[in-house]
Amino acid sequence: MARLSANAVKLFAAELFDYEIPAYAAETVARMVGANGHYARRMEGLRLSGIQPPFGYPTMIVEAERLRRSRS
Amino acid sequence: MANHEELTAFSVAELAEKFRTRQLSPVEVADAYLKRIEELDEKIVAYITVTHDEARAAARRAESEIAAGHWRGPFHGVPVALKDLCYTAGILTTGGSKILAGFVPNHDCTLWARLKAAGAVLLGKLNLHEFASGATNSNPHWGVCHNPYDLTRIPGGSSGGSAAAIVARLAAATIGTDTGGSIRIPAAFCGCIGMKQTWSRVSRYGVLPLSDSLDHAGPITRTVRDAALMLSAIAGRDPLDSTSSGEPVPDYAAALTGDIKGMRVGVIKELTIGLSDEVAHGFNAAMHQMRELGAEVADVSVPSIAMAASVATNIMFAEAAEYHEQWMRTRADDYGNDVRRTLEAGMLTPAIYYVRAQRARAAVLAEALNALEKCAVLAVPTSAIPAPRIASGGRALHDSGASVDLVADVLRFTAPFNVTGQPALAIPIGTAPKGMPLSMQIVGRPFDEATVFRVAGAYEQARPALPLPKL
Repeated sequence: MARLSANAVKLFAAELFDYEIPAYAAETVARMVGANGHYARRMEGLRLSGIQPPFGYPTMIVEAERLRRSRS
Repeated sequence: MANHEELTAFSVAELAEKFRTRQLSPVEVADAYLKRIEELDEKIVAYITVTHDEARAAARRAESEIAAGHWRGPFHGVPVALKDLCYTAGILTTGGSKILAGFVPNHDCTLWARLKAAGAVLLGKLNLHEFASGATNSNPHWGVCHNPYDLTRIPGGSSGGSAAAIVARLAAATIGTDTGGSIRIPAAFCGCIGMKQTWSRVSRYGVLPLSDSLDHAGPITRTVRDAALMLSAIAGRDPLDSTSSGEPVPDYAAALTGDIKGMRVGVIKELTIGLSDEVAHGFNAAMHQMRELGAEVADVSVPSIAMAASVATNIMFAEAAEYHEQWMRTRADDYGNDVRRTLEAGMLTPAIYYVRAQRARAAVLAEALNALEKCAVLAVPTSAIPAPRIASGGRALHDSGASVDLVADVLRFTAPFNVTGQPALAIPIGTAPKGMPLSMQIVGRPFDEATVFRVAGAYEQARPALPLPKL
């Protein structure tokens, strides 16, 4: 399991988002982020190199057209 | 005139026929539901808002239209309710949160606009886990929702109100949403049908998001036929949702032939490990029933499925945190503790994890499609356990008093099909010795909901009906 300290999550939240994680919760949040990291590293085993993430360019074009219409 | 217990006992399909032929009045049925809600919902807490006046007005309108010969179809006059994540013009839409406690949208979500155009009668808005971010439906702002089969147990979530309302007969059909299992988990714990169709099949326009790339909105119903009818009514391309699919929408009810002879059902062997005895027994009996119906049941393997719940978690945490960031900066104390912790973890989930998890989706889907190459559908339990007990802080407890690991016991069975976007339908398969419902999922190829309905419908006809909850 990836190890992240309670202090580290408090610091990152404060620096990146100007957000204060309560002291009583920081250990829980650290464990949750650590678990995500642990599994994200294990996902490398799925041989992901060369797989495109499912972000569709056609969707982006449709969204841009919709925005042009609604914002013009 | 029949009493409200009789009037609320009909399925959507039965109501449709009785309304069309004017054997029943939409007004008397709407009134029967409103009376039952008034009598029973205090102990279940399925509803956040009951729309008495709107329901009666819509029922009266349906009655006069049908009387004039303008029957709109199977939802005309049928009393339904929506998870309170769905925008309804002029009606409170809270997301189960304190943050949106006074939010009244000025437009409808597309799926409600479609049901409304089909003549449905809105009974109200249903309880959920706050912002759909959790599986217990122990909502700190709008009340703890209870399982109608045992009020000390959770209904599951996040669409707990939607499933509890179905089995307590507080609505004829409901809408839930599903990001990691939130339609299928409550359907399993409460003993009804929950259909999560292919991602993009149903418009998400006007549905408060939890995680855009994993979110689905779909039917929770008493019968497979009702789910098929409801999906037919709400599915299809929506210009207001750029991600909605233009795939043609078949008549799903027409797929309910009752015949599955010669079809092959693949059991994902990785999801038959770690089951409670009662779920293992119920699932084996269901597969035996499938064989009796003439299907061939065979083990298949999807090795990466063990990773799928964490793929979903990495994506959901990040997407949810991005959506909630402004409120987290300004109103963090207005969130329940469990939801707030999830969003905090999401704020600190690195983009690398997120992108990698998105890439991993295709790898999991590829294996699932391999398994489906020689099978019509896949079958897996919906959870490892029946509904656990309600506990504080959004948690749930085993009968032993130990905390339930909701990822290991529940999400690992449901979240994989949010990751792959495949259609997955939860259907009751009997009850555990303590009377709680058990459930399995039928999973299909992307956009092949028709085969899922066909298999589920045949199984439903063959298995004994669940006893009604004693309320």
